Amino acid sequence: MTTDKLTPEFEIFQGELKSFIVRMTASVQDAEDIVQETYIKAHAKLNTFRGESSLKTWVFSIASNLARDLLRSKKRWPETVTDICREESLGNPQFFQEALQIRQTSPQGNFEIKEHIALCFTCVSKSLPLEQQLALLLKEVYGFSMKEIASILNQTEAMVKYYLHTSRSRMIEVFDQRCSLINKQGICHQCTELNGIFNPKQKAQEELVKIEMAKDAENKSKEELFALRMKILQELDPFESGAAELQLHHLEYNRQVMEKYLGE
Amino acid sequence: MNQQTNPKAVTEKRMFSRETTVSVNIEADPSIVWALLTHASDIPRWNSTVVSLTGEIREGGAIELKSTLDEKRVFKLKVKEFVPEKRLVWGDGMGNRVYSLDKKSNGVLFSMSEKIGGPLFPLFAKMIPSFDRSFEQFAADLKKEAETIQGSKK
Repeated sequence: MTTDKLTPEFEIFQGELKSFIVRMTASVQDAEDIVQETYIKAHAKLNTFRGESSLKTWVFSIASNLARDLLRSKKRWPETVTDICREESLGNPQFFQEALQIRQTSPQGNFEIKEHIALCFTCVSKSLPLEQQLALLLKEVYGFSMKEIASILNQTEAMVKYYLHTSRSRMIEVFDQRCSLINKQGICHQCTELNGIFNPKQKAQEELVKIEMAKDAENKSKEELFALRMKILQELDPFESGAAELQLHHLEYNRQVMEKYLGE
Repeated sequence: MNQQTNPKAVTEKRMFSRETTVSVNIEADPSIVWALLTHASDIPRWNSTVVSLTGEIREGGAIELKSTLDEKRVFKLKVKEFVPEKRLVWGDGMGNRVYSLDKKSNGVLFSMSEKIGGPLFPLFAKMIPSFDRSFEQFAADLKKEAETIQGSKK
C-alpha cells in the first residue's frame, strides 16, 4: 500500500467511519477530530500495514483505539438516558426553539420517526460497557465479521462472541422493557411524541406503519425486532439523511445533558 | 469431586465447618467463562441464583451480593484472589467462595466451592440453608450461557 493509494481508499469508507465514531462518542466535533486524526495516523503508520486485514479493518482499528482513548475516562450513560434528557428539555425552551428553527429552515431538518429510533439506540447503547458497545456497532451496524472485530479490538474471537452476546441480550431486554413501539407496556414513546411536535399534521400511527419494526411488533420475536432495529441503523447515515441536522442537534443536546448529569 | 455434564453438588459437614463443592465441564473458551464470572453487572442476567450483584470483581474489589438463598440479606464481600482465567476467591469473615478454571482440550473444568465455619459455627449451622441446589443451578446456568456464547456464529 502506498500513500497515494491511501487517500482514495480512505475516502470510500470515510463516511461510515465518521458515522461509527459519532455513534460511539455522541459528539460531531469528536467524530470529525477522530476521523482526521485516524487519517493522519494511518498515513504515518502505513509502512506497518501488512495487508493481513483489509485497509478498512486496519483503519477502523486505529479509529476505535482513538475513540477508546477518548471515552475510557468518561462515565457510561444510564439506560434511562432518554427519560433524563426529556425531563431536562421540558425545562429548556431554548432546545425546542433551536430545533424548530432547524425544522423550518434546514434542508436536513425533517423529523422522521425512524431517524429518532436510530438516535435513541445511539444514546441507549452508551449504557453498555465500552468494549461491548464497540463490538455491537461494528458487527450489527457496520457488518464486520467476528475475525475482523477481533482484529479491530485486539481481542480473541471468543471475547468478541462474549461482547456481542452480552450486549445484544442487554439491548434486547432494555428495549423490550422501555420501547412502546415494540411493547405496549413500554414506558418510552418519545419518538411519536416528538413526531407530534415537529409534524403536527401527521398521524403518528400512519408513520409507524411504514416502519417494519413497529408494524410487526406483535408477530416478531424480541431477537427479530432487535434485528429490525439494527436494519434501521444500517440504512441511515447520521450525517447525510434528510433529518441529519435536527437529529444531530438532538444528540448534541443529549450529550450535554448527560455530561452535566454525570458530573463531567 | 464430580466432574460431569450435569453438575451435582457435594457437601462435607464437620463439627466446625461445612464445605460445598460443585464441578462441571464447560465446552467453551476459558476467557468466556472468566468474563461471565467477573462482569458483575451482567451476572444477574444469566445466573438465576443471583438477585443482584454490585461492585467490581477485581483484585481487592468490594462487592455486594443478594442471592436467592436469602433475598433479604446483602452479603458484603471482598475479592481476595483474582488470577485471570484460573482462580477467583471472594469472601467475608465467615468463609470464602472459590472459583477455579482448569483448561481442558475441549473447554474448561469449572469448580466452585465454599467453606463456612468457625468456633461459633455449631451454634448457627442449622440456620444456614443448604447450598447444594443453588450451586448446581449456578454451575448449570454458567455452562448453558458459556456454551451458547461459544456456539454463536453470527
